[in-house]
Amino acid sequence: MTMGGFAGKVLYVDLTQGKIRQEPLDPVIAQKFIGGLGLTIKLAYDRITPGSYALYPENPIVLGAGPLVGTSLPATSRVYAVTKLPASGTVGWCGGGGGNFGCQLKNAGYDQVVIEGRADRPVFLKIIDDRVEIDDARSLWGSGVEEGCEELWKTVGRPAGVLSIGPAGENLVSFSMAYIDRLSTLGRGGFGAVMGSKNLKGIIVKGNGGIRVADRKGYKDLSETLFQRIRDYPYLKEWQDLGLLKSLPLVPVEVYENIKKRRIACVSCPIGDKDVVEIPDGKLKGLIVCSTSAANLLTPMIYGFQDYREAVRCIAILDELGLDMFEFFGVMGFAKSLCDQGIISKDRIETEIRLDSLSSLETWAKKISLREGLGGVLADGFKGILKEFGEEVKRYAPPVVKGLIPYVGPKAPLAWSLFGTMELGQVLDPRGPHVGASGSPTYFAKRPLDVFPRHLDRMGVPQEAIERILLGLGTEKQQLKVGRLLKYSHSWFSILGSLGICARAQINRFYNASLCAELYEAVTGIETDLEGLRERVERVWTLLRMANVREGFTRKDDALPEKWFEEPGFQDYLTGKPAIRQDLEQMIEDYYDEWGWDPKTGIPTEEVLKKLGLT
Amino acid sequence: MEKFTIRVNPGSCTGCLLCQLACSEHYTGSFNPSAARVQVDVSGIDCSIRFTEECNGCGVCVDYCFYEALRKEAVG
Ligand code: SF4
Ligand code: SF4
Ligand code: SF4
Repeated sequence: MTMGGFAGKVLYVDLTQGKIRQEPLDPVIAQKFIGGLGLTIKLAYDRITPGSYALYPENPIVLGAGPLVGTSLPATSRVYAVTKLPASGTVGWCGGGGGNFGCQLKNAGYDQVVIEGRADRPVFLKIIDDRVEIDDARSLWGSGVEEGCEELWKTVGRPAGVLSIGPAGENLVSFSMAYIDRLSTLGRGGFGAVMGSKNLKGIIVKGNGGIRVADRKGYKDLSETLFQRIRDYPYLKEWQDLGLLKSLPLVPVEVYENIKKRRIACVSCPIGDKDVVEIPDGKLKGLIVCSTSAANLLTPMIYGFQDYREAVRCIAILDELGLDMFEFFGVMGFAKSLCDQGIISKDRIETEIRLDSLSSLETWAKKISLREGLGGVLADGFKGILKEFGEEVKRYAPPVVKGLIPYVGPKAPLAWSLFGTMELGQVLDPRGPHVGASGSPTYFAKRPLDVFPRHLDRMGVPQEAIERILLGLGTEKQQLKVGRLLKYSHSWFSILGSLGICARAQINRFYNASLCAELYEAVTGIETDLEGLRERVERVWTLLRMANVREGFTRKDDALPEKWFEEPGFQDYLTGKPAIRQDLEQMIEDYYDEWGWDPKTGIPTEEVLKKLGLT
Repeated sequence: MEKFTIRVNPGSCTGCLLCQLACSEHYTGSFNPSAARVQVDVSGIDCSIRFTEECNGCGVCVDYCFYEALRKEAVG
C-alpha cells in the first residue's frame, strides 16, 4: 500500500561501525502509532536496551517527523526525538519547532532516523536524499551552536535543516540541549549530551523528493477552511507581531519593538514566533541574535537583570554553548546559596556567582560547558552538586523533580500559583518538568469553568470523560479534576505531535481532534475517525509509560517535591485555597486511573495493554 | 482582482516557505520546496525572494503568504 504523507523510509545509522542502511517504513506499525511522536516512541521502545545508561553508545536516538510534516498545513513542522535522557534516566520525548529540519528530512525520504553507537571521532551526519554520509567534524568540535550550524549549512548550501549541539553537549553537561536551525531548542533533560556522547556534532539534511497527499481534493477543502479561519482570526496580527511576548509580557512592547528586526517561522507556520533581534544602543549596540523567542532572550530579567540588552546577550551566550537556560539559572541559584552558606568554600569560586550579572554568568556558563573547576560539578546539575557536597545540602536546593527544576510554580522562575495541568504535568511527564505536553495544549489560565466543555470537546475528550473532569458545573460545588484532565492534555499533545502539528497555543487553537482525524485520513489515505485516533494515542502514551516502567520507574518516581508544600505554595485552581499534598496525590491517582493504569503503582494494567495490543 | 503583478517585500518574509509549498503542489502535485517557481533565500539576516523563469505570475503563492512579503498589486 502506498500511503500519502509519509516519506516511506527509516534511516538507521550505526556510528560505531560507520554503517548506514535504509528500510521501508512498516505501514502496519505506522498506522498503529500514527507517525511522528507516536512512531518515534514505538521505535525507541523497540531499540532501547532496558537498564542501559543514557550516555552509553547503545542508547539510541530516534528522530521523527509526522505524516503532515512537509505539507502546507499550518505549522506542521514538528520534529521529535525519543531517547533515554541523562538528567532523569527516563525515556523521554524531546520536541521542537522543526524549522527546516522536518520538511527537509521528509523530502529526503525519511520519516524516522535511528542513530546508535558512538563514533571514534567527532562526526556529523550528512543526508542529501539517498546520499547519507558520516563526515568528519573535528574542525567543528568546540564551536558554538550558531557557528557550527552556519558551518554545516556551508557544506551543502541552503535551504537545509540542521540539528546540532554546542560545547555543553559535547562535554556531556546534563542540562545541555540540541538546536534545530540554531534556534529551536530540543531536549530539556540533556538531549545535547546524548548527541555529545555519540561524538555526533550535528545532522544536516536536504531533500528534493516531495511529499504527496493521498486525497488532493479532500486535502484542499480542509486546508482552505483552516487557512481561512486563521486569516479571519482577529488577533492574528498581534500574535505575529508579539509572538510569545503576547502571553508572557516580560518587557514593555516599546522595548521589544525597538530591538525586533525580523521574525523567523518554521516551515509552513503562518504565525511564526522566532525572533531576530538587534541591540540598537549602548555597549552591546549592533549585536544581532536569533532566538526561539524574544521572551527567552529576556528571561534573565526575571532573575534580576536590570538591562534588557545584557539579558539578550546572556541568553545568546547560553544558546551558543547549548545550555538549558532554566536549569542553568536553577543550578547557579543553588550554587550561590551554597556559597552564601559557606558550603562551597571561597577558594573554589574565582568568580563570584551573581544571578543578575552578565559577566559572572558568562564566566560560569563557560566553566560549566567546558567542565572547568567547580564548573565540572555544576555540569552534572543537582545530582552532581549533591554528590559533591552531600545529600544534606538538599535543603538549600529549589524543588527538584526527576533531576530538574520545575520552572512553573509559586517560587519558580515563571511565578504562578494556581495548580492546573501545566503544574501537575511537571511531575507526570516522563522526562520531568517540562510544560510542552501539559501546558499550551490545554492551558487556559484563569478562564471561567463554563468555557471548558467546548475546549475539551475540541481536544477530543469524550463526553463521558468531560463529566468526570467537570463535576457539578455551574453549581456552588463545582470541581475541576486536574489529574483526569491531564490525561487529555497529554493525549491532545500526542495527537498533534504524532501528526507533526506545533502544539503552541496560538497554533493548536485552530485545530481540533476531529479535524486532525480528517486531515490524517486525507493526507495518508488511512481510514481514521476520532475514535480511531483516540485509541492510537492511548497506545502511544501508554507505550511511553511502559518504556519507563521497564526501566523500573513507577509511582514513587512521579514524586511531588516537598518544597511545593512550603509557604507560599500552590493554590487550588478553582477555589484558590492552599493545595495540600493529599489533594495533589489524589490527582496523580486520578491521572493514572483515567489512562487505565493502576492508580497505586502507575503501571498500565494487563487489561489496558491487551486492549491496545501492547502485550 | 482581475489583473495584478506580484510585489515582494523581503523585509517581512519569515522563511515559512508556504509560498514554495503552495506553488510546488499546484504545479507538480507534490509538496516540494525545491521544485517551486519562487525561491526564498533565508541565509542572510534578511530574506531574499526570487521567481524562476517558469513562474507565470498566477499568484497562488501570494495567497499563502501570511506576512505580506508577497502581495498582489492591481494593474490598470
Ligand atoms: S509557532 Fe513557533 S515553534 Fe510553532 S511552528 Fe510556528 S514558528 Fe515554529
Ligand atoms: S506566481 Fe504562480 S507560478 Fe509563480 S511562483 Fe507563485 S505560484 Fe508559482
Ligand atoms: S514570501 Fe511569504 S510565504 Fe514565502 S517564505 Fe516569505 S513569508 Fe513565507
